[in-house]
Amino acid sequence: MYRLSRLRYVFPLGLLAAFFLDGSLSKLCADLFFKYPYAMSSQLVMLWLVFTYFFKEDIDVPLMGAAVIVGILADVYYAGILGLFMFLYPAVIMMTRSLGKLLDRTFLSMILIFFIDLTVFEALNYFAYSAIGIIHVDFGDFLVYNLAPTLALNLIYFVVLYWPIGRLFRWSLSGRR
Amino acid sequence: MHRFISNRRLVILVVILVVCFGLMAGSVALRNRRNTPPLIQQFGNDVVGFADGVVAYPANGLQHGMDSVSELMNTYQENRELKQQVSQLAQTQVRDQTLAKENRQLKQELKLNHSLTDYSTVTASVLSRTPSTWQQQLIINKGQTSGVKKNMPVLSGSGLVGRVSEVNKTNSKVELLSDTGESANRFAIHIDGASGKSVNGVITGYNSSTNLLEVGQVSSKAKISKGEKVVTSGMGGITPKGLYVGRVARVGKDDYGLAQKIYITPATNFNEINIVTVAELDSEE
Repeated sequence: MYRLSRLRYVFPLGLLAAFFLDGSLSKLCADLFFKYPYAMSSQLVMLWLVFTYFFKEDIDVPLMGAAVIVGILADVYYAGILGLFMFLYPAVIMMTRSLGKLLDRTFLSMILIFFIDLTVFEALNYFAYSAIGIIHVDFGDFLVYNLAPTLALNLIYFVVLYWPIGRLFRWSLSGRR
Repeated sequence: MHRFISNRRLVILVVILVVCFGLMAGSVALRNRRNTPPLIQQFGNDVVGFADGVVAYPANGLQHGMDSVSELMNTYQENRELKQQVSQLAQTQVRDQTLAKENRQLKQELKLNHSLTDYSTVTASVLSRTPSTWQQQLIINKGQTSGVKKNMPVLSGSGLVGRVSEVNKTNSKVELLSDTGESANRFAIHIDGASGKSVNGVITGYNSSTNLLEVGQVSSKAKISKGEKVVTSGMGGITPKGLYVGRVARVGKDDYGLAQKIYITPATNFNEINIVTVAELDSEE
């Protein structure tokens, strides 16, 4: 039960921490993240959501609602443009769910699913912003200068955080009745 | 039955898409038109900004500490160089004070209260940065209550870095000069050319691969040499005159070979901004 496990504190706190760390890391490591002409976006929020889906075992975590809320926060606080992330984060959850049913739970299949999530997420972000005229970037440039570095950064997050976050989830699930 | 479900899904998808793009287009339009976002959005921003402090201040403190350690390494060298500069600076400062005083007296004689060079400043620290590859945006910890208004120019280090793009009660967003978006920065600039002629222009873009600002469509024939200082011209009435932007990196022709195009090396590294100064033109009120 979600209400009885430690997850009911750990999940929302982790989500908020991930959300704020995205912004703080982008500021602190700006020289690394936005080294011309490359640009990476830190997506710890998505990482946390995907990890939660993989590690929650049989517990019903309100992932959808959390994704919508954190999406609205990202829209309002970081972008200042409403209506993108509040749909993209839930879309990521849906995609992870449907892919998660097809593949088994090994490290490699998880990282594959996260890779696909990230690619779709960044591509949809690119198309949406192009459509409303915020950016004018060639698709090729997007692939080389934006998508590739973003994938690299977030896959490094995945590999580095896989074990600690796995431990955290095991700890938060161990206390349940 | 199966058909019905897939149809319903399609309808839901279309509705979501419409809502999504409607919201985005609406908020972009609102953002360009209004001085402040709707109240509910402001409120959300203020609450989130407050919570962000819990993460941002320790993180910034950590960075500060690490910077201090690395700065300690080359303190000796720096100290020697700085000592030489200090003696010059004192002279400049005294002269600056005298000139400012004289300027004030002359303005009084002319019954001129505020000119384009008079501005007051609000200092703010940077909370975080938009984690997106598309928007070069900082979030600073001062807002309406401290007198920040939309479109005010923002300075950091030695020069101009961007302009305020959204103002909430206690925090605001700053769009950096390196943002290439549609509504991005259009600062009017001024360069002194050779033989008394000068060039006025508008910053039209930013080249991310070379890290240079571009001033397009300069029709003036004045000769501009490399390394010349670029300052804001104060035209447009929001930006004060004389804010340092950077130095001329090179001068080229535009795509059609008709007008000049000037490339500027920005004065500040846009990726190392911790404290910003928001400038407010005094004559606005």
